[in-house]
Amino acid sequence: MHIVVCVKAVPSTTEVKMDPETHTIVRDGRASVINPFDATALEVALAIKDARSAAGERTRVSVMSMGIPDTERLLRDCIARGADDALLLSDRAFAGADTLATTYALSCGISQLDEAVDLIVCGKMAVDGDTAQIGPELAGAFEMPCITDVQEQPVVCGRILWARRACDGGRETVEVDLPAVITVAKDAAQLRMPSIPGVLAAEAAPVAVKTAADVDADTSRTGLAGSPTQVVRSFVPERSQEAVAIEGSPAEQAAALAALIEEGCR
Amino acid sequence: MVDIKPMTAEYEAYLRDESRSTGDAQSISFPRDEQEIREVLTSIAAASEHVPVTVQGARTGLAAGAVPAGGHIMNLSRANRYLGLRRDDAGTYYLRMQPGVILSELRRHLANKTLPTDGWDRESLAVLKHMYDGPEQFFATDPTEISACMGGMAACNASGARSYRYGPMRPHISALRVVLANGDVLDLPRGAVRATGRHLVLTTEGGRAIELDLPTYTMPSTKNASGYFVEDDMDAVDLFIGSDGSLGVISELEVALMPVPTVTWGVSCFFADEAQAVDFTVAARPALSDAAAFEYFDAQALNILRRQRTASTAFSSLPALDDAWGCCVYVELACDGESQALADLARLRNVLDEQGGSAERTWVARTDTDRETQRFFRHAVPESVNMLIDERRRTDARITKLGSDMSVPDDRLRDVIELYRTGLAEAGLESAAWGHIGNNHLHVNVLPRSMADYEAGKELFGAWAAQVSAMGGAVSAEHGVGKLKRDFLVAMYGEDHVREMARVKLALDPFCQLGRGNLFDPHLCEGGA
Repeated sequence: MHIVVCVKAVPSTTEVKMDPETHTIVRDGRASVINPFDATALEVALAIKDARSAAGERTRVSVMSMGIPDTERLLRDCIARGADDALLLSDRAFAGADTLATTYALSCGISQLDEAVDLIVCGKMAVDGDTAQIGPELAGAFEMPCITDVQEQPVVCGRILWARRACDGGRETVEVDLPAVITVAKDAAQLRMPSIPGVLAAEAAPVAVKTAADVDADTSRTGLAGSPTQVVRSFVPERSQEAVAIEGSPAEQAAALAALIEEGCR
Repeated sequence: MVDIKPMTAEYEAYLRDESRSTGDAQSISFPRDEQEIREVLTSIAAASEHVPVTVQGARTGLAAGAVPAGGHIMNLSRANRYLGLRRDDAGTYYLRMQPGVILSELRRHLANKTLPTDGWDRESLAVLKHMYDGPEQFFATDPTEISACMGGMAACNASGARSYRYGPMRPHISALRVVLANGDVLDLPRGAVRATGRHLVLTTEGGRAIELDLPTYTMPSTKNASGYFVEDDMDAVDLFIGSDGSLGVISELEVALMPVPTVTWGVSCFFADEAQAVDFTVAARPALSDAAAFEYFDAQALNILRRQRTASTAFSSLPALDDAWGCCVYVELACDGESQALADLARLRNVLDEQGGSAERTWVARTDTDRETQRFFRHAVPESVNMLIDERRRTDARITKLGSDMSVPDDRLRDVIELYRTGLAEAGLESAAWGHIGNNHLHVNVLPRSMADYEAGKELFGAWAAQVSAMGGAVSAEHGVGKLKRDFLVAMYGEDHVREMARVKLALDPFCQLGRGNLFDPHLCEGGA
């Protein structure tokens, strides 16, 4: 079985910087982390690998990302935690991509892998873009079934996968034939920590880095050129709430608070 | 003029601290600065020179040092301003503050570069800009309880996991200002006043000279927060660090900051049994020069976590523990770069292989998320034990946790663990042990199921105090002696030496007002030693 996990480098939440010209996030790599939803996706894939391997089936987990060269550091961390290999798509031609262009680049990369893919696992969404579109778009690109918003560890038996997903009014169990795509919610699993041998081996493991040309990508469909979505403006919302300190005796404070509430209700 | 308020139900919480002991008091004050501290002390002395004054900070102590023994409570939580910053020729930054500054807030302000600077002079502001433009700085002492205040941490010479590398509070304190019981002030920058042998002369800002004959005991060469610090030719400031609020009121302190290590990785190593974990620790200490901490969690502590993980949603995000994992040693690496950290990991792997452990049974935390998971794991142990004790208190409110705080020299680690295991087994007591195995300093916690267990545990701790002292250890390594462990201090130093400590106190606090009941029996002071 061959599982591909798509991961994205996102800024650590306290370090987001915006480019004032392009209105895109400045990705200098220094404070990047694996998108938390993708971390869960990796654990889901590794748990399937554990179960299948225990049942005697050779199972391989490949991680893939499109990003700046520094993203290699995060892919190496995925290998330390149990992934078998990694592919980084890194090229200026990929820069500024929306979800459509990103999906196209990822699908080119997946098509070039040396083994057919049985399962693609993505995080439900990325914490920087919040679109939740990559997984379903990949399913569309490969004409695979897709289960979104998976809430618990799925079960794979033979060529069938069962997953519990969130739906209106609760959760439902969905059965699909492989190959398929699933996207997972953040709490579906907790990514394991690497062991000492895992970390040391990952340092020596090869991480394939490929350009648009390497994966036969049509550059009119990648990056900013291939993105119909245009960001007009990004901004930090202004705070409109003010804190008021009320002083005085308890009775005076209570009266002042009551007056404020009354004023707010008008 | 600061208010001295009569004790009412509103202030009932100030009769207790984290040791869960309760005292009594007749009045309370919340001075905001040194001047107000002096006003309170002189005002109380004017009414009666014999009124006890118990100094409090954040009341997070575990030895009841902040629990009042009648009289007045001076709570310093509102004296919490940052006062200035300087930099020495070697490039070290020194931050001056009031005693009520909370450790977690200090950390947050240093990490976010948001130190409040109200009232700072131009020179301090210029140094601050220089510091913010350079590498991030941190304060090294890291007690588990991050809501502790800096004055309290100085008063008990607090430590934490990273004391393995950085030592306790003492070496990081570069100056203290101390108000004596009569309102006189001592200004004590490190290096300014030293003893001659065991004779120390202190001069107050008012010009009064106080001569002290320092105690004659030799302190153990272990982590130690038991009684007054003394050594030949000692620095005067060291007498007040770790004095449990019994010699004076710390009104200001200055601490040294350090650059944050470039790489901090946490490695949890799991072992089948305690002997393996101890062998690993003994072998790993000399092999790892970059280790900042070695922390231990015994089998009972891990079992408590296993239960909590399934029983409580608050703990459900704890990582799952393999059933075969019997105990854990957490090693923290603080390195100048990743290549250095990787070399340390390779050394750790070798030590694990040599000592019968397994490098496969490890968790390496290199990201913020993983570090937070490991922090939660380590802190969940004492939290879970407190919850367990609270549950047992419902059947008998007299039951409290009994936690030891003793340390021994490196070569006695195996002996002290044997002492603990034999004693617990013979007494038939339930327990959980964790703590700073790198410093041979475990907190053995007896988990009493009844008052009989509680009494048996107390008796056992008393016996351990004598045996640990005989091994060259300390009866309190980081919590201080306070009121709860003063009998242990006698076991450690003997009555004559404790009387010598009392004489030092009487020279500085003639009516035995400050921290009454801390360190020694009050009668020892009142009798004039």
